[in-house]
Amino acid sequence: MPRPERKLITFSIDGREVEAPANMMLVDAAKFGDVEIPVFCYEPKLGAPVGACRMCLVDIEGIPKLQTGCSTPVKDGMVVHTQTRRVKDAQQSVVEFLLINHPLDCPVCDKGGECPLQDVSFGWGGGMTRFVEPKRHFKKPLELSPLIAIDRERCILCYRCVRFSQELSEDYQLVLHERSAATFVGTFDGHPYVAPFSGNILELCPVGALTSMPYRFRARPWDIENAGSVCTLCPAQCNVAFTVRDDRVLRVLARENEEVDDGWLCDKGRFAYQSIHAEERVVAPMVREDGVLREVTWERALEAAKAALGGAQGRIAGLAGGETTNEEGFLLQRLVRDVHGSPHVDSGAGLDRSGLLALGDPGLQATVADLEFAHTVLVLGTEPVDDAPILDLRLRKGVRRNRVKLAVATSRPSSLDPNATLAVRYAPGAEAAFVTALSAAFYGGAVDEPAQAAGADAGAVHELATLLRTSGGDQPGDVVVLYGQRVLAEGEAVTAPLLKLAGALGLSGRPGAGLLGVPTATNGRGLREAGVLPDAGPGLTAVPSAGHGATGIAEATAAGELSVLYLLHTDPLRDEPQRAVWERALEAATHVIAHAGFLTETIREHATVVFPAESYAEKEGTLVHPDGRLQRLRPAIGRPAGVRAAWQVLDELARSAGAEHGVHTVHSATQQLFAAVAFYAGLSVDAIGAKGVRWWEDDARAAAWPQESGLRAAISDLVAKTPLSRTPDYEEAPTPSGLGAADGATNGALRLGTYQSIWAAAEVEASPALKFLHPHQRVELSPADAARLGIEHGEHVTVGSAGATVEAVAHLRNESPAGSAFLQSGIPEDAANVLQGPLVEIRKATPK
Amino acid sequence: MSSAILFKDIDEPGLGTLAVYQRRGGYGDVLRKGLSMPREALVNELVESGLRGRGGAGFSMGKKASFMPKGGMDKYLVCNADESEPGTFKDRELMTKSPHMLIEGMILAAYAAGATKSFIYIRGEYAQQADILDAAVAEAYADGLLGENILGFDFSLELVVHRGAGAYICGEETGLLDSLEGKRGNPRLKPPFPANQGLYQGPTLINNVETLMTIPHILGMGAAKYAEIGVENSTGTKLISVSGHVKRPGNYEIELGMSAREIIYGLCGGIEGDHEVKLWFPGGSSSPVLTSDDLDLGYDFDSLAKAGSMLGSGAIIVVDDQTSVVEVCLKLAKFYRHESCGKCTPCREGTQWTVKMLERMKSGTATPMDLDIMASVQEQITGHCLCVLGDAMAMPVGSMIAKFRPEFEEYIEAARERAERELVASLDAGLVGSAT
Amino acid sequence: MSHGTQEEPAPTGDLTLGQHVGSGEVPRYQGGSRTPGWDDAVDLTKDPAVIPDPATVHVPEELRAEIEAHMAKYPDERSAAIPALMAAQRRHVWCSPEAIEQVACVMRLTPGYLVAVASFYDMLETSPVGRHRVYVCTNISCSLRGADALLERVVEEVGDDPDFNVRSFECLGACDIAPMASVDDVYVGPVELDDVPALIGQVRSGAEVLPEKQILRRKSVDPNAGSTS
Ligand SMILES: Cc1cc2nc3c(=O)[nH]c(=O)nc-3n(C[C@H](O)[C@H](O)[C@H](O)COP(=O)(O)O)c2cc1C
Ligand code: SF4
Ligand code: FES
Repeated sequence: MPRPERKLITFSIDGREVEAPANMMLVDAAKFGDVEIPVFCYEPKLGAPVGACRMCLVDIEGIPKLQTGCSTPVKDGMVVHTQTRRVKDAQQSVVEFLLINHPLDCPVCDKGGECPLQDVSFGWGGGMTRFVEPKRHFKKPLELSPLIAIDRERCILCYRCVRFSQELSEDYQLVLHERSAATFVGTFDGHPYVAPFSGNILELCPVGALTSMPYRFRARPWDIENAGSVCTLCPAQCNVAFTVRDDRVLRVLARENEEVDDGWLCDKGRFAYQSIHAEERVVAPMVREDGVLREVTWERALEAAKAALGGAQGRIAGLAGGETTNEEGFLLQRLVRDVHGSPHVDSGAGLDRSGLLALGDPGLQATVADLEFAHTVLVLGTEPVDDAPILDLRLRKGVRRNRVKLAVATSRPSSLDPNATLAVRYAPGAEAAFVTALSAAFYGGAVDEPAQAAGADAGAVHELATLLRTSGGDQPGDVVVLYGQRVLAEGEAVTAPLLKLAGALGLSGRPGAGLLGVPTATNGRGLREAGVLPDAGPGLTAVPSAGHGATGIAEATAAGELSVLYLLHTDPLRDEPQRAVWERALEAATHVIAHAGFLTETIREHATVVFPAESYAEKEGTLVHPDGRLQRLRPAIGRPAGVRAAWQVLDELARSAGAEHGVHTVHSATQQLFAAVAFYAGLSVDAIGAKGVRWWEDDARAAAWPQESGLRAAISDLVAKTPLSRTPDYEEAPTPSGLGAADGATNGALRLGTYQSIWAAAEVEASPALKFLHPHQRVELSPADAARLGIEHGEHVTVGSAGATVEAVAHLRNESPAGSAFLQSGIPEDAANVLQGPLVEIRKATPK
Repeated sequence: MSSAILFKDIDEPGLGTLAVYQRRGGYGDVLRKGLSMPREALVNELVESGLRGRGGAGFSMGKKASFMPKGGMDKYLVCNADESEPGTFKDRELMTKSPHMLIEGMILAAYAAGATKSFIYIRGEYAQQADILDAAVAEAYADGLLGENILGFDFSLELVVHRGAGAYICGEETGLLDSLEGKRGNPRLKPPFPANQGLYQGPTLINNVETLMTIPHILGMGAAKYAEIGVENSTGTKLISVSGHVKRPGNYEIELGMSAREIIYGLCGGIEGDHEVKLWFPGGSSSPVLTSDDLDLGYDFDSLAKAGSMLGSGAIIVVDDQTSVVEVCLKLAKFYRHESCGKCTPCREGTQWTVKMLERMKSGTATPMDLDIMASVQEQITGHCLCVLGDAMAMPVGSMIAKFRPEFEEYIEAARERAERELVASLDAGLVGSAT
Repeated sequence: MSHGTQEEPAPTGDLTLGQHVGSGEVPRYQGGSRTPGWDDAVDLTKDPAVIPDPATVHVPEELRAEIEAHMAKYPDERSAAIPALMAAQRRHVWCSPEAIEQVACVMRLTPGYLVAVASFYDMLETSPVGRHRVYVCTNISCSLRGADALLERVVEEVGDDPDFNVRSFECLGACDIAPMASVDDVYVGPVELDDVPALIGQVRSGAEVLPEKQILRRKSVDPNAGSTS
């Protein structure tokens, strides 16, 4: 769907000739002539106007009745009046009507001072009311959810909140009950309004009807400052404004950046700021003494770290977690590689350099906005609402408003299935076979065999290929493939057919189309580009000899080959897929140096040195969004007294080992990074500014993407529209022995799939307001498997493989594919990474 | 000349069955003639007949059909059988007694509009009529009169009888469409008009039951002949529902232009108890009221409009001089308050404010100033709402205040005195402050 | 001011005269309703109300079949919301949370969607009522002919019989037989005060209500209409 073009027209408003884009709604077009038309229900982010509040009535010559400016598109030659007696009377009438039942409790209302109703009443109201009957009174405030309070007296029925729930997040939990003046906002049968994006209604409400439980009565607008930054809690990297009072973050609001977040936030981003000021936060350095972590001075902690690193003789490894900035990652890899001579550094990219170069090729990149305007989007192996929540809203918007055709190919049923033109399932872990089948469908290759190996329906694979191929009529059109990083676990066996697919769809160099990878970590893309990789340095340059990746590091440490682990903002027992080997590694390491905000069990048990980490509201630096946009993190508040910036610590450790890099401020680190990464050439923090810069949109930078001899050729060969020259390697999806076989009914083995809930995050656990959302382990099963195993919905079960087990609650899902079971990862207890797939057995838990 | 067209032999036993309807010529030559005409010719015929919508707005049926775009998209015909305007009950009698006439009218209208799917949106309270329609539709399908290639013509039509569930606003055409789409029956913003974007976003023609039922007769007698009935700009016959204080309430088919006096005193036998007419609503409860001074008006679109009111749905409600205008006004306002969909501000708040003021008038806590405020509130509603439900209260209430101001004032005064007396009495009895 | 009175439009409907509340084993909100209203906070122990999963919600087979048949009639299945809710209400007497969940499960909608629809329409009951519906029209034309007294008389006659749902109703489109009532969908009128005991008795005994006064038997009053019989 090509983006709409805007053409300028001229119209007259209050006697002035004004230019504005054609068909823009009058209330917006009026702004081009510096005329403000008051509104309540109008909010373009919510889609088509509803014209409910009638606040925006204007006089248009040639139309007898006053018209709503929010729903009237401006036309060339239109003559509009907003200052006539008639219009003013109408505006005063509407304000008078609205205030009939609105309590004038502004002094005790949390919205006071930032309330559109106050502003409009002052600006356009009559200043008096003739309403003398008692106003309606109801209990206030009431809980709408643990996060949101509702004061129904104050509600002016503008429809905004319910439209958000119904038409934006499409959770359809928040509705209007009854009709007429008895209408009220509520949920079904007293269920709380709990949904991933519920908090957005707080910002939409133009009165004090919906207020934030955690923020209520913490501050008045004149006590606070707003500080713009970026949320680092997931790869979506939404732009935010922190509400700061007395150096504390009290609230997070969306800072609209159409290209990133469209002005929305998920509830994790909105409420997990509480973790910044949590009691449990580590705010002083610690060193393990006599087996116990004790708070020490910075000097002692730094000494301990220096000694550990110095004594390791290069047998060290560095691992960076997702919230690590580009600068921190850059300094870490330099410390490990250049200062200590160890090649072992990783950020969990999960793909080798050539794969990263191929998939990251500037010509193949799609943007977030492309998701909204493409002809077709294929969501491959990711659940956006969990992996990069705000993209979920973007996909829904594309389908709803621009008729984007959505195809979903996942192993676990997706929350986007109902919006999809086509949803295809494959077995967990069978991505390589699935993508091979799909790619083969384009080239006339064998589809049945890989499809069968993927546990996918060959017919559905063909159907998907047809959908992608015909999205632009008789040709592919603009296709965006949104894939999850986990899809790439099998390396070239996936990247090769994925690139073939990209070739078949003509994605290379096509604006509005391409690949968009969702990393598992917030700054996954930035860390790769900064060189936090075992086989590539900053700018993805080749390194002389490759080190171990994350799992290799764990194995080598467990085997005693490495002795010091440097963990920058990561808890491998939680973040890494293979918990068992990491347990052994941490056990075997002589020193574990960790930068951490919280003492997770891992840190508590294994760290020998702990540096308190800055929170994301305190940090300065840069990040890279999954679509290549460099964004700036700016400090909103000062760090707690005992906390130092990670860049300082990393530089100090380098300096004490004799390496002087001249890093005096975080900006000097940024400059060094930009200098080291060829495709960041010429960038500066000022250029990045408030909205960020997508580096590959500049031709010179795009051209600086590494070109290895032969690699380009290999890519173009892969992308060329020729049949696959060789049979790709893919592992057959394991067939659960209990399926198909007649005697299988006694064997309960199922294929294990994993997913990480939006709520599985340390910041969520540390935020009291979000406590209720902590995920508990549950195992999703198809009704057929549950029946076969005699397990009922809600029953406690154990899920086991190779001697390890986790406890979970059985959760039956009608859409769950038979033969697979899905467990959550990233949670503190009973996480899926305890188990070794691919098959698991499920048993009823023996009652304790 | 007898004005029986729709009502001709309406009580004939079995008229509701396909057999009897066909025996009387239904689904016969007229339908064949219609389906063999080019669409445009059929639309022209309707335009020429001068038939104006019988649902309330009185828009030319033929013109509305002519707004339907050409093209291959799915188009819809919706029959508005919501009939919830207080005082209106004509569609009920028509559907009860002659359901096939409606189906035949719909086939022709759908053909004219290029619609291939049609719906009858009938109010849920009319369960008995909906059952009758369901049975008739089943008969028509069985006989090939609905479905593929009707009567062998290259025209197919599906018809679904859809029952509402009790909401006046679903008679408003866009509220109806939302309701038919399975939503709350909130009216939509216009434009886009239904002819461009209606049901399921497709072009949609919406007409009242009576309007649609008239079509076969127009075709039968010819547009020119039909246009001769009635008066200028108000052609044909009209079913009027007369209720209230008349001796013989009921539906009558009249030739448009007949005087109101003839209707009320002639057809309906005058006022019960031989009282005088205090006021009458000429076109349902939403029409501004007229008084006994207006009884000699011709009952047609233009005459009623000229008198400051409207023909509306053709429902005359007669109120005698024994009844308090304030009480009528309160009933009316309460109805609109209850039926406001709640979407737009002036209607939602204006209707409830009006009720509250009237209740204070009744309880003796209002002053004549409240009467001015009430009149001004009606002005604040008029023309400012999303649909015309708000105006539908504001216009009759406004007209009552304008025409019966002295009575309102007396009523307010009397109620105040009564309230004061009661207060004094209760003070005397020492009741105040004990229990409330 | 409390809600539920005539002055104050109340979320649970201000036309629920003579509504009777059942025996009370279920948890109730203030005011006796089983469904939360304007004045009630949510129950934070509940899960959010998402689209019910067929794997965990039982829907009676006939109800499912009826709803699916309705869904099949429309180009957009959602159009079946009102007929589906009506079907569920026939089965459950009112649109109870359970009834709504069943419809939601079959139609793949959230229960919130459906309760928003149900509470918009007068004939769909979102709080518990008796099984026999007696709608007494109290709109203008009927009230001019004694509807208010009729309603009072009916309420009195029904007493506290929990099987009845007596309520005043807006114009039912039968002002020609004013004052009138719709009794389990059958229109009768003009109903004299003296007819009331018989009428209510007939409902209780399952007999036809006021047979001679049923609207379906009524001939046209228009002298021109005539009948060829
Ligand atoms: C509040 C309101 C209620 C209405 N109720 C009805 C109704 O019950 N039946 C009807 O036919 N038209 C009703 N109308 C008029 C319709 O909107 C529409 O004009 C009509 O159905 C068109 O059909 P017609 O052109 O054949 O009259 C109502 C209009 C409004 C504003
Ligand atoms: S609660 Fe706020 S956002 Fe929702 S309808 Fe009321 S005023 Fe609008
Ligand atoms: S802003 Fe236009 S009607 Fe509300």
